[in-house]
Amino acid sequence: MRRCAFAYAAICLALTGCEGIDCTLNNVVLCHYNFYSSETGTLVSLADTLTVTAQGTDSVLYNQGANLTGVSLPMSYYSDADTLVFTLQGDGYRTQSTVRVEKSNTEHYESPDCPATMFHYLSGVSFSSMVIDSIVIKRAEVDYLQDENIRVYFHNVGE
Amino acid sequence: MLVSSLFCARICAKTEEVIPKAPVFCGAAVHVDLAGPVMKAVGTRFDQLECGARLNFRDHYFPICELGIGESDREGRTTSNTFHARAPYFRVGMDYNANKKHNGNRMFIGLRYAFTSFNYDFRAPDFQDPVWLTDKGGLSMTSQSARMQWLEACLGFETKLWSFLRLGWTIRFKKPLHKKFPQEGDPYYVPGFGKYGNSTFGGTCNLIFDVGRTSKKMNKK
Repeated sequence: MRRCAFAYAAICLALTGCEGIDCTLNNVVLCHYNFYSSETGTLVSLADTLTVTAQGTDSVLYNQGANLTGVSLPMSYYSDADTLVFTLQGDGYRTQSTVRVEKSNTEHYESPDCPATMFHYLSGVSFSSMVIDSIVIKRAEVDYLQDENIRVYFHNVGE
Repeated sequence: MLVSSLFCARICAKTEEVIPKAPVFCGAAVHVDLAGPVMKAVGTRFDQLECGARLNFRDHYFPICELGIGESDREGRTTSNTFHARAPYFRVGMDYNANKKHNGNRMFIGLRYAFTSFNYDFRAPDFQDPVWLTDKGGLSMTSQSARMQWLEACLGFETKLWSFLRLGWTIRFKKPLHKKFPQEGDPYYVPGFGKYGNSTFGGTCNLIFDVGRTSKKMNKK
């Protein structure tokens, strides 16, 4: 009977055992932009420095990146559209492009131990620019995956 | 020669040992799970209160049904997020007693089909946009509706303690069959299944009460 009681105590303890925190390692949601040449259609590295800011906030989303082939930018949690300002700066010149990304937002959670976040679904992109030729949505779902979401085709700005 | 003939005689005697055949219907039993209250008392991340009933055919085949209430009320250890779910669950299945002798001890292998339908709440009070700094007072998703069906493969042992009283335990491998969860995310906990994942292990410690005349006859044997 004693052995029996011991065995059941052991089983109960096993059933009430420890638990680890198993959150997704890549738990940052970013929209991935890649830059292409409008002439060749291939991935291009920008010769100028690129700074990206968001209208409606003081935050600089990307600051003076050089030789970039793409950027990964956060999206707003609750707005239906984000308006981004892409500033390209080279020797003696500076040009600004405005990109408006329309989207819907969905709350997402994994477990009480993991931070909640927001997933997005891209529904449209428009822009006004002298240097951008076109913008294409490649993958509309913006989530934990690091796949390319948006292709930006530039006029002759690459190397 | 003498030794080999004696050995043969002993083996033959063993093989000829007749195991008494149990009647077709050997009674019924009800059980309660003792692990659940212990888990609740200790304050684990989730717990369940469970009971069940089964029939006994030939002391080998045990059709069984189980029902319980599973509960998880939990706050994150590294966040202030909270999760709450409390709902009933049901299981039906069959156990097979692999012990050929009718000596009160049983070794079970079994299968269960289980299902539950439940609502859960998830709250993240500190949730705010880190860049645009929009704060809507946190994230609050209440009464998220979910359903799940799963299979359980069981291995169990039980023994007779006294007269109509038995004690047994099972370990179970659980695999989801079909689920319908909200698009916002999978629930942290599914009542009866445990922490949600592609598969999980669980177990029960059962206090079993034999009921019915036939079971008394079996006990006398």
